[in-house]
Amino acid sequence: MSSSCCTSVRKMETVSEESKESSWFRGWLQWSPTSVTMLRAAEKKILSCLKSAYRGWYVDIGPLVGPADKIWTISLNQESTKTPILLLHGLGSGVALWCLNLDSFAATRPVYAIDILGFGRSSRPTFSHDALVAERQLVNSIEEWRREIQLDKIILLGHSLGGFLASSYAIHYPDRVKHLILADPWGFPERPADIAQRYSVPLWVRAIVYVTQPFNPFWAVRAAGPFGQWVIEKARPDIMKKFSSFVSGDVNVIPQYIFQCNAQNPTGEAAFRAMAASFGWAKHPMIHRMDTLRKDIPITVLYGSRSWVDNASGELILEKRPDSYVNVQVITGAGHHVYADKAETFNRHVIEACILADTGDTRKILSMQTKSSSPTDELEEETSNTESEENISATNSTNAISHPFPQQKPSS
Amino acid sequence: MNLSFAGCGFLGIYHVGVAGCFKKYAPHLLLDKISGASAGAIAACGLLCDLPLGEILSHVLRVVGEARQRMLGPFSPSFNIHDLLLEGLNKALPEDAHLRVNGKLHISLTRVYDGKNVIVSQFSSREDLVQALLATSFIPVFSGILPPRFHGIRYMDGGFSDNLPMLDENTITVSPFCGESDICPRDLSSQLFHINFSNTSIELSRHNIYRLVRILFPPKPEVLSNMCKQGFDDALMFLHRNNLISCTRCLAVQSTYVISETMDESLEFDPECQECKIHRQEALVSKLPDTILSLFEEAMESANQGIVNWIFKHRGLKVLSVLSLPYTLPAEIIYATFTKFMANAPNLCSNVWLLGQYLLNQLLALLNKMNKKHQQPSTKVRCQLAITEFGGTKYDIESTEDTPVAVKNKMNINFTLNLDERNPSETTNVRKLPPTLSRQPSLTVNYTDRGAQVEDDTFEHILQETAHHDTVMAFYYMDENNKVKVTEIVDVTDADSSIVLSPEECENNIQLEFDDDDEWLSQHVMQTEDDLYYGEDELRMSDVSVEEGNVDGADSRNIFSDPESEWNSPETYRKLSAEKLNNMKEAFSLSPNSLPESDQRTDDELGDQPLQRKPSYVIMSNLV
Repeated sequence: MSSSCCTSVRKMETVSEESKESSWFRGWLQWSPTSVTMLRAAEKKILSCLKSAYRGWYVDIGPLVGPADKIWTISLNQESTKTPILLLHGLGSGVALWCLNLDSFAATRPVYAIDILGFGRSSRPTFSHDALVAERQLVNSIEEWRREIQLDKIILLGHSLGGFLASSYAIHYPDRVKHLILADPWGFPERPADIAQRYSVPLWVRAIVYVTQPFNPFWAVRAAGPFGQWVIEKARPDIMKKFSSFVSGDVNVIPQYIFQCNAQNPTGEAAFRAMAASFGWAKHPMIHRMDTLRKDIPITVLYGSRSWVDNASGELILEKRPDSYVNVQVITGAGHHVYADKAETFNRHVIEACILADTGDTRKILSMQTKSSSPTDELEEETSNTESEENISATNSTNAISHPFPQQKPSS
Repeated sequence: MNLSFAGCGFLGIYHVGVAGCFKKYAPHLLLDKISGASAGAIAACGLLCDLPLGEILSHVLRVVGEARQRMLGPFSPSFNIHDLLLEGLNKALPEDAHLRVNGKLHISLTRVYDGKNVIVSQFSSREDLVQALLATSFIPVFSGILPPRFHGIRYMDGGFSDNLPMLDENTITVSPFCGESDICPRDLSSQLFHINFSNTSIELSRHNIYRLVRILFPPKPEVLSNMCKQGFDDALMFLHRNNLISCTRCLAVQSTYVISETMDESLEFDPECQECKIHRQEALVSKLPDTILSLFEEAMESANQGIVNWIFKHRGLKVLSVLSLPYTLPAEIIYATFTKFMANAPNLCSNVWLLGQYLLNQLLALLNKMNKKHQQPSTKVRCQLAITEFGGTKYDIESTEDTPVAVKNKMNINFTLNLDERNPSETTNVRKLPPTLSRQPSLTVNYTDRGAQVEDDTFEHILQETAHHDTVMAFYYMDENNKVKVTEIVDVTDADSSIVLSPEECENNIQLEFDDDDEWLSQHVMQTEDDLYYGEDELRMSDVSVEEGNVDGADSRNIFSDPESEWNSPETYRKLSAEKLNNMKEAFSLSPNSLPESDQRTDDELGDQPLQRKPSYVIMSNLV
């Protein structure tokens, strides 16, 4: 299924050949009308509305989880020398949904956004079913990516699931993180033990929940097949509304993009499910691990006031890190998609945090000497080689995008 | 800042809690526009009209109770939420409701023919407003088949197009579903997935699944109470989080800011204000107003107590009622369809009613006719009284059947009772005379010694009273229980009364009444009711006509003995009267009202009020 753009890795070639062979009849058998090309087209359509030029390419991180993993990356303003910011999207999302923020961030510093391994256009290897292992696999993939494109220190911004991974990354690789920005992060609070007693729901509700539990979160979208996009349009018209001002032409491109992101093999979702306990609680809540995060790493937490994410955990982080810089902001009127609901406010907060990271003027900076136990050497030798790059030089609205990477027989 | 209430069917009880909190702690938020759909629109209207929460709540609870009574809940064919709503709104809304809400209340409607959302905020009349509220609460199939019209266009529930209308950026959204709203229940869950149903964000959590079903199926009052409490708490939490609770002085300052600025910048209240602090502290521990809580308690009690509720709570009975559903449902559907048809078909209902009435009348008339035929012998009754007056100073009356001794005067009185000439309805009331009337005279009443003979003062009093009126005839007798009974025939129509007049003519001329003392009555009724007459109320129904005459012009106050024994039945009576007809000086047609029992009229009523009584017997007596 993955049309690899990478020619240099030999293992990859076999995979791509397979997909080459199967693609002609798979088009007929496939229930969900999805393909990498359609995803790419949708993404391109959204990103074409960016004002600044962007560049997108696959970063080959080698056989980390699957046989050959590649991470789709877009970058803006790579020339800037300031600390780059890395954006990690949430569940079921992709790089293109940062479109409301990219321009603003890119004005001052390099911006990188990646599709997390198992999501979006990145390759979709099968992750472990163990929560901690899966989490570690994902974190390592980010670290591999960082090493691949040779960034020394980054400002890490994660939304939702990305926030969880960003925190985990900061715990594991504190040297690389200059500032941790969490936007409505998932997986912080712990599941209350007495939740069953506190909320007694009738039997039939529990039955429904029980039946739907074994499915991956986006199963309904995939099951709907050709109607998947329609399902998303109907179920989340609010998302379309959020971006409608940005993608002025065709609003339907957003649900199309989301559908294409999630219609493919849901390995990332499976990993999420492995990390999550019943109904969205993290098996290993991040709040308990915040004290293992090195004290000198400043944190900015941005919550949406309407979001379902319990912003009480922001207060908890404050409590847990009394000697560190923790800035908790609740953005009024924003929901879970805080970066899109109140993009301007969000951007302002992020840029403030970035400036803070640049100046190093966090209120409570502790001199840190001790290196954290960051295992950086494991995959050292697997540094990958060439990335098929996609240099896109775009000027304001009209983007002349060339696609130098090899195309693997687009279906349709 | 504007408010927006989400539509949510029976979960609207949540809005009541929110409204209670806003009224108490943030009345300044209610000054701006409030929008809503469905139940939210009703809540918004209630807030803007400043309706008492308790009243609304009790109505909601009543509707809920009604819905829960039925096996299929609100889906029962006989449950009509639309009518209940209409009734409630008509009752609750003040006369000037439309004036109060104009321009402030924004109701979200869905136009039926194209499914587009329409927001209305101008209402020309109260009915207009009610109609809009009904339209926004109309869920097809659930509420009915045809959506209501508003300004000539059919609309349905605003929840289908925009369930949470946002008027501008600074709209505080209130939704009873856990989701991305400003005021909503925060379930302890970390569910990532939401759906966005026409602008209302709903988290896909266990609780929301439960709540979604409760939109149409109202839960128990306990659950409703909790929802209401939750609404209050959530609203309070929101106000607290956003520093919107302050004392009235600070409130005034604040509200000037609120108008223009966004929420996060508008909170320019003085953090040092002591009063505000106290107010906020109070708010932290406050709970729902007592009036609301007590209403819930009542509803819970009524739902839980009582033997019927206990029986229906029983699992076995529940199963039974489910099993019997196939049998009860068709009946219910037929009934509901019929009532709906009746309600919807104009004039049909009244026509059917008229037809029914007509048929009933016909039936009654027929019955009357049959009755008449059947009882023809009794319709015309003639009787004779052979009255014999005894001479001597002592008016000892020895009433024996045939042998009057020491006769001073002999007099025959002829009673003619012609029932055929009466109102048809009277004919039905002819009855047999009670057998007691046929007893033998057993009493001698001494006229002069009456005081000695009758201990009761009232007796004398009665006599005196009656003496004032021209009593044509009065008779007293004692029954087996040694009680004296009095019957008087009073002449109050001197002018008209004439022996020449036929009974029919007299009937037209005379509307007579006989009056008596109440004390007498009470005494008398006790004793006579049972043995002499029956069906007293029937007696009162008919007109009376009495043709009377003076017996020798002087004996109006004579005491007569008990009537003769030929009282067994009207038939015998008739025969008797025919024989003695010749001896009669006058003929009366006597009515039962002549009996003192029923003579309750006062003097002044006499004459101008026709007696509503029925002739039921004829008195014949001998003057011995």
